[in-house]
Amino acid sequence: MPTFPSVEWFDTIKDIVNNDPAFRQLGTVDAVVGIKVEHKIFEVTFEAFECTKVREASENDLRDMDFWLEQSYDQWKDMLTNIREHGAADLSHTLNTIDLNLPEGFARSHDGYRRDAFYRFNQSIQDFFNASAKIDTQFAPMEAVTA
Amino acid sequence: MANETATIPDTLRAKAQEKHWPLDLVQQALGAGATAEQLIGYMDQGVSADQARQFLAAQGGAAAAVEPSPELKAKAEQAGWPLELVQRALSMGAAEEDLARYMDMGVTAEQAAQFMTGGGAGAPELDLSWMQVPTEWNTRARPTKHGLTLQGINIGKYGEVPDVWEYQTEMPRGAVPIAGVEGMGYSIYQKQEVWSDACAPLYEEAIQRRWRPATDVPWTSIEPLPDDLERAICQVCTHLSEKAQVEADVLGRWEPEISYGYHEVKLYLATVIFEDARAVEVFRKRALSNGGGLGLQAPGWSFRSVVDARNFSEMATIQFVLQDSLTLAQYAYGEKYARNAAEKYIFTRAMQDKARHIAYGITHLKYTLLHRTDRREEFHRYLDKGEGMLVMDDTKDSATREAFAIYFGGSRENIAEGLRLHDAMRRRGLEQYLARLKWATLGRDDRLHPGLRAFIGQ
Repeated sequence: MPTFPSVEWFDTIKDIVNNDPAFRQLGTVDAVVGIKVEHKIFEVTFEAFECTKVREASENDLRDMDFWLEQSYDQWKDMLTNIREHGAADLSHTLNTIDLNLPEGFARSHDGYRRDAFYRFNQSIQDFFNASAKIDTQFAPMEAVTA
Repeated sequence: MANETATIPDTLRAKAQEKHWPLDLVQQALGAGATAEQLIGYMDQGVSADQARQFLAAQGGAAAAVEPSPELKAKAEQAGWPLELVQRALSMGAAEEDLARYMDMGVTAEQAAQFMTGGGAGAPELDLSWMQVPTEWNTRARPTKHGLTLQGINIGKYGEVPDVWEYQTEMPRGAVPIAGVEGMGYSIYQKQEVWSDACAPLYEEAIQRRWRPATDVPWTSIEPLPDDLERAICQVCTHLSEKAQVEADVLGRWEPEISYGYHEVKLYLATVIFEDARAVEVFRKRALSNGGGLGLQAPGWSFRSVVDARNFSEMATIQFVLQDSLTLAQYAYGEKYARNAAEKYIFTRAMQDKARHIAYGITHLKYTLLHRTDRREEFHRYLDKGEGMLVMDDTKDSATREAFAIYFGGSRENIAEGLRLHDAMRRRGLEQYLARLKWATLGRDDRLHPGLRAFIGQ
């Protein structure tokens, strides 16, 4: 049972979408996306029709990413639990909805142009997280992400 | 045979010196019937002096027999070409790889013989000179993870995009021009007027990420809504459908203005027009799918700023950077407040398309500013005008504003909250618009129209 957040968890999701013809049918995705969970940061790379790489990253790496998704750990858990319960994000838990709900935004970037990758590949990134409905996610203790 | 006394015009002489074509070769080509314009065209296309000599030799020269390689001999035997014919072709200047290719293509020995003799009496005349056209040959583009893309075939001469395109015809970039072809009436021949390095990848992305409203949208997820809410979404859809139609119409007018040298731009804009058509379609379908109908036409002040634009960059900056930034915010908020999976789907996909349009507009603006720093103030003035027209719409178009407010607020009773959300949507669109302009090196925070500045609390 993969633990969120971890490289193992993202790798599991990566394998699911890379083996899902529906993900490929959404079209090409070329983006380097950061996932920020409190102090933990991960980099997920999408290239052409697949997710090609997952790695743990640092605060400095954020500058080189197209955008990163950032919310509190509790909000991450809420989002993933909702996806697990509904098989996909419901109407109020999509990435875009969360982005508009957060004063600072969910998708953040240092680059006014590259940030738009969040919009251009929105459904693919959404499906990436929706794939987590297919696994039993174990959530790491709060200390693990705030240390 | 070459006419040794052919006169060389000064422009041709200068071009020949620039491209290292000996003057005797130029005279020979003129004597063989080529025009000065044709020869300049060949030189600009990168045809070398050696290639030209080979071409001329193949047209009429004769020389000693040349022995083919064992590989060509074997291939000729297999194709039924006599050895004498192959030797004769080689002696006339044909390259071995060309002959091998003709054999592979199924050109018969008889056809080849006819071609070399200029056609026999009573025999069908073949003009295979096009097979020796001096374009860059042996080009082998390779597919990548993305497939065989436009970027992938932009190799060698074919990938050289000139700052100024000199041809008025529909000649594809990298082909060889011929004289006498009528012009196409293009008006855009400068790269900086239309170019963005993102065009080719955006085109491929648009093709790959296409969607089909008729069957992809989960239409059956739409259930009856309270009358005020249905009227609101129908009015919003009327506005979005109308706006997309204007953009498609405007771009359709600009397409034939762009010369063929910049085919990446033409191709990408074709996808934008298609995506606008899809937006027209899908929002119209939503309005007519749940017991409602279309609403009021928009006053269209802001439409005029793109319809009336007098140059392409003016249109592109107002449309793709200013107006599309605000449309994208409308789509994003539409997604957030969608009442069913169908609307969620529609707005998400429309958002993806619109973000690509913005990507073209902002990268084009940055390219132009990088290459024509003197145009900076010009762009500010276009945006002054575009923003002013947008403010006119804000004051005149109460239908769209109120419809969005009811849609966001959930009911007519909750319209005050809805108006607050409408202003938040406008603020977000403007903040992103300014961030994009900053990226394109056209900081505009201090110059934003006062009527818009109010939304972002400045």
